[in-house]
Amino acid sequence: MSAPTLWILLPILVGSFTLLLLRERTVAVIGGGTSLVLAGIALIVPIDEALRIGPLSLKIASTASILGRSFILPPTDAPLLVIIFGMCALWFFGAEAAGVALRLIPLGLIITALLVASIAVQPFLYAALLIELAVMTAVPLLLPSNQKPGRGVIRFLVYQTLAMPFLLFAGWLLAGVEASPGDLALTVQSTSMLGLGFVFLLAIFPLYTWIPQLMEESSPYAVGFLLWLLPTIASIFGMSFLDRYAWLRTSPGVLAGLRGIGLLMLISGGLWAAFQRKLERLMAYTAIAETGFILLALSLTTAGSLDLFFLLIIPRGLGLAVWALALSVLKKENGALEFSSAQGLARAYPLASAALVLAALSTAGFPLLAGFPPRLALWQGLAGESIGTAIWFLVGILGLLTGAVRMMAVLVMQKEETNWALKESWIQRGMLSIGIIGLFLLGIFPQIMRPFLESLPLMFQHLGR
Amino acid sequence: MLILISILLLFVTALALLVLRITRPEFRFAWLAALSGTVLAWLTVLLWQTQLPSSITLPAWQPASLFAASPGLSADGLAWPYAFALATLAAAILLTSSVREDFPNPLVWAVEISVCGIGLMAVTAANPLTLALVWAALDLLELVVMLRASKDSGTSERAVIAFSTRAAGIILLLLANAIGAAAGKPVDFSSAPPQAGLLLLAAAGLRLGVLPLHLPYRSESSLRRGLETMLRLTAAASSLILLARIPTASLESPVTPLLLILSAVAAVYGGWMWMRAPDELTGLPYWMIGLASLATASALFGNPTGTASWGIALILSGGALFVSSLQQTWLNRALWIGAWALSSLPLSLTAAGWQNNTSGWGFFLPLFLTAQAFIMAGFVRHAMRPSTRAPLSTQPVWAKMVYPAGIGLLLLIQFILGFAGWDGAFAIGAIPAAIAASLLTLGLLWAAPRFPFLNPVRAHWIQPTVTSRLDQFYQNLWVFYRWLGRLTQSISNVLEGDGGIMWTLLFLIFFVLLITQRKP
Repeated sequence: MSAPTLWILLPILVGSFTLLLLRERTVAVIGGGTSLVLAGIALIVPIDEALRIGPLSLKIASTASILGRSFILPPTDAPLLVIIFGMCALWFFGAEAAGVALRLIPLGLIITALLVASIAVQPFLYAALLIELAVMTAVPLLLPSNQKPGRGVIRFLVYQTLAMPFLLFAGWLLAGVEASPGDLALTVQSTSMLGLGFVFLLAIFPLYTWIPQLMEESSPYAVGFLLWLLPTIASIFGMSFLDRYAWLRTSPGVLAGLRGIGLLMLISGGLWAAFQRKLERLMAYTAIAETGFILLALSLTTAGSLDLFFLLIIPRGLGLAVWALALSVLKKENGALEFSSAQGLARAYPLASAALVLAALSTAGFPLLAGFPPRLALWQGLAGESIGTAIWFLVGILGLLTGAVRMMAVLVMQKEETNWALKESWIQRGMLSIGIIGLFLLGIFPQIMRPFLESLPLMFQHLGR
Repeated sequence: MLILISILLLFVTALALLVLRITRPEFRFAWLAALSGTVLAWLTVLLWQTQLPSSITLPAWQPASLFAASPGLSADGLAWPYAFALATLAAAILLTSSVREDFPNPLVWAVEISVCGIGLMAVTAANPLTLALVWAALDLLELVVMLRASKDSGTSERAVIAFSTRAAGIILLLLANAIGAAAGKPVDFSSAPPQAGLLLLAAAGLRLGVLPLHLPYRSESSLRRGLETMLRLTAAASSLILLARIPTASLESPVTPLLLILSAVAAVYGGWMWMRAPDELTGLPYWMIGLASLATASALFGNPTGTASWGIALILSGGALFVSSLQQTWLNRALWIGAWALSSLPLSLTAAGWQNNTSGWGFFLPLFLTAQAFIMAGFVRHAMRPSTRAPLSTQPVWAKMVYPAGIGLLLLIQFILGFAGWDGAFAIGAIPAAIAASLLTLGLLWAAPRFPFLNPVRAHWIQPTVTSRLDQFYQNLWVFYRWLGRLTQSISNVLEGDGGIMWTLLFLIFFVLLITQRKP
């Protein structure tokens, strides 16, 4: 048994199998259970080491060759696998409550496997192709068979696809830079190509217009899943470039660029969130701001920047999951999600509304909630390097907070006097409650993430050292 | 350890009340259970005295390289009187609840006790991080309570506005923290850079629970006297403790005189409005503005003990007045102890209020003394207005015993705190200032029946015919907000419309140009 077989091939096989099933609950249990088991194995069973259980000896090899390419998942990748599949389990168990289990779980498993493969593949440039495959697999996830593709889906596909040639071309140029490091023109060209590739891949301003459009066109839960997984893996892919090329990670220009783009994402996402009049679009702009936080964390010159990057991942995943689930519940029950039609929904759907507001506050870094500890550390880190950046950071946070407060006001301001009710189904109540508890737990005790995060920086040989 | 025991006792009691309410709605001894838990907690707070100063380090936030501080609690000579005052207030509210119309109401008691527990955490917060966390907990709890109580969209809106105002206070606290980090010195309660000190002051001001002035509670006075009193006074205590904690050196700034002027104006305004309020519950926000301004002034003059003395008076004297809902001659007379506690006379609770160690005091003192006199005169006026209250004699025998005990407890504690138990006890204070304020108060009490302008303002539900400047300011702000909203909407439409791709290409060209202009 090899690690790539277990964490790449197996999810693809299970995902393909669940495509044949018709019951939401069965699919949710199989998909969520598989993800949970895979996360558990990554947590317990060491890679490349024999594990003795009585007379039995179990060893998971780190390398496998698939279609002539090497896929390597070394022991240092195990914590990342725990997080990815653990979060997937959360998303998949919640998919039934959101009413999208039949589409999300099969395709979600395949997309996850492809993105894990993008981390494992050697030569690492093939990652761009695997990410592109994952993007193409995402199209049927976003688009039910009876629905015509909207502008958001098309732009998503176009922009993500455009990233691939730039990245491949950058990889080719970077090989040249390695050979002749003094060639300034080549260095500039390769940096430009790499930058353009990631501008498309991470949906940097203003290439993120597909995100709000997609949120309106497709299931919020399915889009939320992609908005969590794609930027996370794309960022790790980007970090592998920084780790590999010393001139890139030590370049003040690159770090300044990361910081500038991070701020642009945070401020534009925050500002636009403050003025949205639709609940789905608000979530879209918040997700955009989340990417800004990731880029800002990477731009820090301190040794803790990598710790900070990984500290952002779990709260981000949980926050988006809770937000997307709550939004799906409200959309399913209420239909339209414009502010005008969402007025007073908190009286009928208090748990979904509370989850929505808490997830939004968490993203804005409100204390007690999951997003607070990483944002606090990030803000302090930025302030330590530049007070101006810290002030702009505040502007972005204020935008997000304004969006959250506006949403709260809309949800609680009923048009006429109505009594409180609890109209969510039992499964929705259960999943939303788990999510809300999780938001508070991570906000009060961020150290509980430590066992999963402490060895993650070892994934990179040079970065953060 | 005692800190934790007190807090846990309160939360366990609140949880037990909730569980009882769900599992055994007919349980008859809920009040007794609530009172027992609260009194036990009160006793344990009293026992803190044996271990002062003491602190508890909660599990540290990890990784340590990212978090300069971790949550912790500590009790000292300033935190203890606040904690004791809050525990006393909670016990008094439960004791006096026996005569309210909604008795028994275990759900409300559970909330009141939880608020007290959070309040104890706030006043014992060892660093700004802990304070931010506790403030957030208090805000969320208050938001839920207010939304549950609101009946129409207007009151819900005000609840959200109150929440956002306080959230802004938290942001200011965190900004102070960031500024400390920028100066290479994380902000804590022993040191802070000057800019951070002023931000902490602003954070405390925003969080006093004063804005918006009329919070959305139901009109039933039972809720207003119990829950609202607990929530608003706890919110005030959780902010005022920060004023007492701000390092004096960090408040030395060129804008300090300006802040003193603002405090003086706010104190006079609050005191004046409090004195002329139609009743004590309507005047509650002004009571808080007035006394909080005096506390702020003490902080600006580098007198943390004075700050704490005004803060504790706000809770104990105010608490005694706000929970009094029945008429009884001796109790009305006993409320004069509250006026004495506010007088800053030697050995009173606020005796340390006018002690200062900074120059420039004389210029501002008359304004603050005037405000103090307004507050005291208002206190006496509201305490001596028994005609609007039902008599105690109509209550059941046990309630006749329990209700005065609640009021008496609050009065007794403010009397005792004047003599012993904390840093500001047994103080002689500034005798001339105290005498001046007291004489002015007597003068105001003499003049009130004789001059109409000193009498209560018309009820606040009468809409003013002229739009105030503040309303105009809010309207202008709203217009700007909508303009900004339209601008972002237009940009979104352009980028998401048919021409969006062209704009994107243009952006890409700029992006490439930007990169190629600089060396990597």
